[in-house]
Amino acid sequence: MTPFRFAAVSTVSEASEMLRADAAGSRLIAGGTDLLSEIKEGIVQPQTVVSLQNVGGMREIVAGTDGMRLGAMATLTELEGHAEIRRSYAALAEAAASVATPQIRNVGTLGGNLCQRPRCWYYRSAAFDCRKKGGSICFAINGNSKYHAILGGGDCVIVHPSDLAVALVSLRARATIAGPGGERSMALEEFFAGPQVDIMRETVLQPGDVLTHVSLPAPSPNWRSVFMKSRERQAQDFALVSVAAAMEVADGAVRDARITLGGVAPVPYRVRQAEEALQGAAVASVDPARLGEMAVAGARPLRDNHYKAPLASNLVRRAVTLLLQDGA
Amino acid sequence: MTTTADRTTKTNRKYRVIGTRPIRHDGHDKVTGRAKYGADIQLAGLLFGAVLRSPHPHARIRSIDTSKAAALPGVKAVMTGKDLPEKATPPGNFMETLADPQVLTENVMARGKVLYKGHAVAAVAAVDRHVAEEALELIEVDYEVLPHVLDVREAMKPGAPILHEDLRTRTTAQMPGDTPDTDGPTNIASHVQFVQGDVAQGFKEADAIVERTFETKPVHQGYIELHNSTASWSTDGNLTIWKSTQGPFIVRHQVACILNLPPSQIKVVPMEIGGGFGGKINTYTDAVAAVLSKKTGHPVQVVMSRKDVFEGTGPTSATHMRAKIGATKDGRITAVEVNLTYAAGGFPGSPVGSGAGTCLAPYKVENLKIDGYDVVVNEPKSAAYRAPGSPQAAFAVEPVIDELADKLGMDPMEFRLKNATRTGDRQASGVPFPSIGCVEVEEAMINHPHYKAPLEGPNRGRGVALGYWGNAGMNSSATINVTPNGSITLVTGSVDIGGSRPALAMQAAEVLGLAAEDVHPSVGDTDSVGYTGVTGGSRTTFATGIAVIKAAEDVRDQMIKRAALVWETQPEDVEFKDGVFTSKKNPEDTLTFQKLASRLMGTGGPVTASASADPKQVGPSFSGMIVDVEVDPETGKVDILRATLFQDVGTAVHPSYVEGQMQGGAVQGIGWALNEEYFYGDNGVMANSSFLDYRMPTSLDLPMVEPVVIEVPNPGHPFGLRGVGESSIVSPMAAIANAISHAIGQRLTTLPMSPTVVREALVNGDK
Repeated sequence: MTPFRFAAVSTVSEASEMLRADAAGSRLIAGGTDLLSEIKEGIVQPQTVVSLQNVGGMREIVAGTDGMRLGAMATLTELEGHAEIRRSYAALAEAAASVATPQIRNVGTLGGNLCQRPRCWYYRSAAFDCRKKGGSICFAINGNSKYHAILGGGDCVIVHPSDLAVALVSLRARATIAGPGGERSMALEEFFAGPQVDIMRETVLQPGDVLTHVSLPAPSPNWRSVFMKSRERQAQDFALVSVAAAMEVADGAVRDARITLGGVAPVPYRVRQAEEALQGAAVASVDPARLGEMAVAGARPLRDNHYKAPLASNLVRRAVTLLLQDGA
Repeated sequence: MTTTADRTTKTNRKYRVIGTRPIRHDGHDKVTGRAKYGADIQLAGLLFGAVLRSPHPHARIRSIDTSKAAALPGVKAVMTGKDLPEKATPPGNFMETLADPQVLTENVMARGKVLYKGHAVAAVAAVDRHVAEEALELIEVDYEVLPHVLDVREAMKPGAPILHEDLRTRTTAQMPGDTPDTDGPTNIASHVQFVQGDVAQGFKEADAIVERTFETKPVHQGYIELHNSTASWSTDGNLTIWKSTQGPFIVRHQVACILNLPPSQIKVVPMEIGGGFGGKINTYTDAVAAVLSKKTGHPVQVVMSRKDVFEGTGPTSATHMRAKIGATKDGRITAVEVNLTYAAGGFPGSPVGSGAGTCLAPYKVENLKIDGYDVVVNEPKSAAYRAPGSPQAAFAVEPVIDELADKLGMDPMEFRLKNATRTGDRQASGVPFPSIGCVEVEEAMINHPHYKAPLEGPNRGRGVALGYWGNAGMNSSATINVTPNGSITLVTGSVDIGGSRPALAMQAAEVLGLAAEDVHPSVGDTDSVGYTGVTGGSRTTFATGIAVIKAAEDVRDQMIKRAALVWETQPEDVEFKDGVFTSKKNPEDTLTFQKLASRLMGTGGPVTASASADPKQVGPSFSGMIVDVEVDPETGKVDILRATLFQDVGTAVHPSYVEGQMQGGAVQGIGWALNEEYFYGDNGVMANSSFLDYRMPTSLDLPMVEPVVIEVPNPGHPFGLRGVGESSIVSPMAAIANAISHAIGQRLTTLPMSPTVVREALVNGDK
């Protein structure tokens, strides 16, 4: 582990300035659970680590009439236990509770969870000079691909590791970024970017950009959501596949639906075909199994991850079935 | 539910202390975090060592340039394999280890060639860990990368990359120095074979035959505490090593071999140990710390990282196995053929021999042929792991037994019981079994409510399997000193991994009529107690127990003489019972052990006794598991609904620790069955060398494992003990595989049976 300078800034603009000034040599740190393991493995060697711990207000979780505002420094434990989140955004509370271990959830943050680097073991090992680290090979494509993407991979078949992202995309969250040019906001799914955009990153963050908060729209009374995560180990494990579904059901019909898969693609993967099929459909006419099949249409499994397609398809089916039952 | 406590209390009414559950002597310090482990050692002037490891699985070392590292401020010394004597020389041998000393030294630090990714090539000592790690990056190693081989079958093919040019295949009949089987270079280090009867004829007599091929991956022992060594070389030439080890005397011997030192100049101080499971027997960083200490004149501490542990220390062998079993319609096994190929890692020494020797233990088989191959591959040198070699082999044999029972339309336990092995039956090796409890274990399984409980619902299945471990005897020493208030100190050479301090103290207390709390047990260093073999082979409570009993009996006899002196009578006239000495001539003359202890001065001085043990009749341990699973057909995930582990323990000295051993072994078996494996990249690099990516199950993934203690006393121990530490890991993988096959109608033949594998079986059918 190489030495670095630890800069605890007190404003976002200060952080932004430091990150912009030395894009290659600086890294943002929140809870540190991800960054430190990267530094120890020698994957990144920042000269400066910029901490947001002392920036006021970034940890706040605020519920208002127009929805919620979640500070990027809010911990997973805080999200998991927040009464309004549990009441109106169940998928988010469930996703937060499913992450890692209590110790990690106590320090891991919303922003850190969304911006964490992939858990691909080829990326995580300094012994593999993979594309994401500037090399020319994706080792997973012909290697051990058990935990890799079946959709949207291409030149780099990582899966996005964030559980919160899957829930938040289905909950129509928006991300707000403070950067050198001021503040901008976007639908959370646009915050993530696959290898086709930039193989070295998983988000649209540019040098100097800081994710400051995530906002959620006000829930309608008939809105329900669920998060399900299949994993090999019931604690301290990433998703083999996860699904977050959010649905508004009223008068026997689906008014609105969003379904997002995790663990299958380099970004949280929206199942648009199934969403469209649900739109306006009478509850009685919905065929959850068919929706599950749609979810993985076009999947291109690798050598070791064929199981992910039926797994994803079944999780979608279960999530939809559960929400329709709840809504009925 | 009957608890084991009830049973034990009833069984062992004849003992005062054996069979009770006192609080462990080391418990408070461990629970409150005060216990001292190897990495807690702090010494004045302590330097920190770090080890450079090979990035390649197979390469020739052309040169190593350490000059830049040595020049880094804060670096005090640098070493390579050249700093170790070229030839490891054993200073005699107490049978401390069967490992070849030359292999040990070349595994500790490569010379000429690196044989696996993670093989140590150089080391530095510096003022702190970070400087030491930084210095490693400045060491320039010029490698000529060679083709590597990971899979045992590939390694056996003609034209495979050869790891050791001078390696020739040995067979069991050969002793070192005999002419080998092969005359050309090979990766097959040895071939063991057991043959009895006429296998071809046996299969002819069979009405049904099942044959299958199995594969397992390397799995790690997974102890939580990392390997560590702190060495201090004094100016008078004596070396002290503090460390986490299962066997301080083994470390002493191995370091003596590697450094060509007399054992008496080395003192090994075993610290508390955070798990070993067989993986902390052989030396890794001790000689490195010692050489760095000698070079610098400072004590040096080396602590591995988790990555070092995964990549540089032994997992247990990956295997490729085949089992073929035939039986008659009425359920008699007529012939068995087993072929076991075990990956040794970079140097010879897989546990294929014990796999071959144990895999048929539960069955009386007239016609058998077992072949075992020890094959070197470019992976870390394998190390012992709880019942080394036996769980893999059971995973090959027990599912075939199960399938054969299915085929014959017989209940799988009934089939097993019909073929059960009994005291005096011949083992695969030809040696007759001593007193064993195979039938008792099987009957306990059949009669247990779990076996009869209904299991309803789709995708659910029940599986059974048997396990066996022969247990070890070896040698142990113990010393007892009587203190003035009648409490005693007990020093043994056995590192306490699984509660051996209380279990040994209880045996001394039983002999001397004391309470367990009156005995203060401790683990001695190699200077303060007689030679004692490794804490391994499930031998400690049994064999060190015998040394303790002998020392306690000596104390008792000395105390009887003191009482006789006090009463001016003869020792024969003194009776000792339940801690009280009584004069037979004058029954009013009584002295408690405590009273008499206060009168030692004046009656001949302190009472002290040392004894060593060389047990002849080791008690093997049979075990078995009944397990219910539910398979999620959509995800392939396996949930364990209920698990019961049965084991013949001889006599349960401290039933809680016996149950703990049984549950612990079962839990490791469950991890091996469902979760754990080394993933290698094509470049020979382990891809999941962290506890995050190497998925050991957590408490949330595990069921309650109900332990059923069966006590068939071992005549080879005064209190009837058998070793209990290992047998429990042998059956779970096979039992779970059998349960899954009953749940989904497909036989799984590879480990781990992860969701991926189960899902594939459901989609693609029987492989």
